[in-house]
Amino acid sequence: MQLLFINASPRGKKSNTGILMGHFIRGFLETSGNACDVEYLVKHKNNLKILVEKFNASDNVIIGFPLYIDAMPGSVKAFMEALAPLQGRKEFPALGFMIQCGFPETAHLRFVARYCEKFTRRIGCRFLGSILKGGCEGLDVQPTFLTEKYFSLFGMLGVDFGKTGKIDEVILTKLARPEHLSAENMAMVVPFINQGLWDAQMEKNGVLDRSFDRPLIP
Amino acid sequence: MKILILNGNPPGGKGQIDSYIDRLVEKMKSAGHDVTAITLRDHKISPCIGCFQCWVKTPGICSIDDDARDITRQFMAAQYVILASPLMMGFPSFLLKNAMDRNICIVHPHLEEVDGEVHHKKRYDRYPVISLLLEKEADTDEEDIDILKDIFRRQAVNMWSSVGFIHFTESPVEEIIHAITVH
Repeated sequence: MQLLFINASPRGKKSNTGILMGHFIRGFLETSGNACDVEYLVKHKNNLKILVEKFNASDNVIIGFPLYIDAMPGSVKAFMEALAPLQGRKEFPALGFMIQCGFPETAHLRFVARYCEKFTRRIGCRFLGSILKGGCEGLDVQPTFLTEKYFSLFGMLGVDFGKTGKIDEVILTKLARPEHLSAENMAMVVPFINQGLWDAQMEKNGVLDRSFDRPLIP
Repeated sequence: MKILILNGNPPGGKGQIDSYIDRLVEKMKSAGHDVTAITLRDHKISPCIGCFQCWVKTPGICSIDDDARDITRQFMAAQYVILASPLMMGFPSFLLKNAMDRNICIVHPHLEEVDGEVHHKKRYDRYPVISLLLEKEADTDEEDIDILKDIFRRQAVNMWSSVGFIHFTESPVEEIIHAITVH
């Protein structure tokens, strides 16, 4: 089976999307004969033509990106617009998405996922599904006990996709937890993110005392 | 009222939206509003690179020094912002999305609970009302509009804004003037 994975993170290679992608592809390649090409959207930002051609020549494509204000990043939208001329052709890849966000709940990702499914139908591709995962900011600094379980689920998803060409719904459901946070969870998770992730970086940069600055007010 | 219109019509300026905005601006001015329309395709707006320096290094200021900085400033100075774009593959243009992505500096990295979900804390005391002015595609259907409305409402929540109107270029300019006046 052939797969084109487009890592559409604006951060390119050093991205949380890339970490998740890596686990998925590792699983995908366990089936002998499978081949995966990885393209970084950011490398094509000045000319999308080659990437559009590569998309069109593929059997399966997964586009991975982070949530940017409740939707796809502008650069991903630019790529989607560049695919518009392919509407109405006969041979298409099957298309899926891998979308992650920093917010801990998966609920934030459901809306852009609906758009991606509609986009897939509009362009005329078969829809593989959308792999959604919240809580993904700073994956490289998150402790292993938080990440190992779902990294292995991304691996399993890749293994399964590599064998069947389908994105397994049961694993998707597991990955999607928590869909929402209970009040109890929120009270635990929010300070952990605010202090552990954000304050730590601001302190390192010496701006913690200015974090609420309002530079746009004259 | 201080109104900002961000026109996300792509280069070439096809379709109805440019002339619609021209008429809208004229009517708004004669109704006494202070209105600015920015044609995004004439400005340098690099995509957000997700560096988060606007949160952790230079709080409130984007690390990229291009026209988006001033657009964000004008966004915050307005009471009412109209995001205008033709629908392209069922969503506003990448030009408009790039401009909106560059606005994350107006909120704070810290999370807090808002109506049972986690969202970012506010940085400023007040934010503009945001509205959508869209031009339909030939195949725009109810499902597209539902998806757009949901995403747009969530964007408003995340930007501490509220939703004004969602209008299409097929409705008369006067309806928008009315919607703003009664707001």
